[in-house]
Amino acid sequence: MIIVTTYTISGYDVVETLGFVCGNTVRARNVTKDVQAVMENLVGGEVEHYTKLLAEAREQAMDRLIAQANAKGADAVVGLRFSTSEIATSAAEIMCYGTAVKLKESV
Amino acid sequence: MSAKDHPPPSRDELLAMAYVDGELDENARRDFELRLAAEAPLALEVAELRQLAVLARQVAPPEPMDSEWDRLEKEWLHTGGRSFSLLLTAAGVIGLFLWGVYAAATASFGLVPRVLLVALLVGLAGLFLVTLRARLRTLPYDPYTKVKR
Repeated sequence: MIIVTTYTISGYDVVETLGFVCGNTVRARNVTKDVQAVMENLVGGEVEHYTKLLAEAREQAMDRLIAQANAKGADAVVGLRFSTSEIATSAAEIMCYGTAVKLKESV
Repeated sequence: MSAKDHPPPSRDELLAMAYVDGELDENARRDFELRLAAEAPLALEVAELRQLAVLARQVAPPEPMDSEWDRLEKEWLHTGGRSFSLLLTAAGVIGLFLWGVYAAATASFGLVPRVLLVALLVGLAGLFLVTLRARLRTLPYDPYTKVKR
């Protein structure tokens, strides 16, 4: 599965557009990590616990997008975008979306 | 180490790999998902493979700070201090909660508000424990816990 943020993929032609695919998740860490993140916030620097939280959410959202694309029989997802919003305090909501396509190698 | 050290993957392991890689056709995928719903060891196998796939696609080259984090994690002052502090905090929260239940049960106001307050506190604790149990049960199947950044 090729996933790109562009609308074309070098070396391939899009032969069929299968439609919109997306993946989203809302993840939280546990209260002990939140307390430690508050301490990290006090002393400055990278808030490592929240970096990890965002990365977990990003990977899970991506996997859901890939699963949707696989279910449609896609070879690739083009025009991938991420969006985020806040539903709950200390939770990370990430949504990624794109267009599932079928490819053929360019001649 | 040679190939002999690793037994060849079983049929189920091969199926799980194909499922995680999205290589099963629609019928095979549906059959496999029915088995996933019924067989916990198979679901665990899929979760482990998915974790591997997630880690494999991570573009997270080591950063200079990582080695210092690793050294910190080996220092007893850091890990012991953190564990002790968390333990103290947890003891404080549990103690305060129990004290709150006792204070509500023996408060001077009427019986009905006392019972309602105790019901609220015990209900909240029950909800927390049920949620915690669900999280602990599903944790082994969560392939994203080892993602770093």
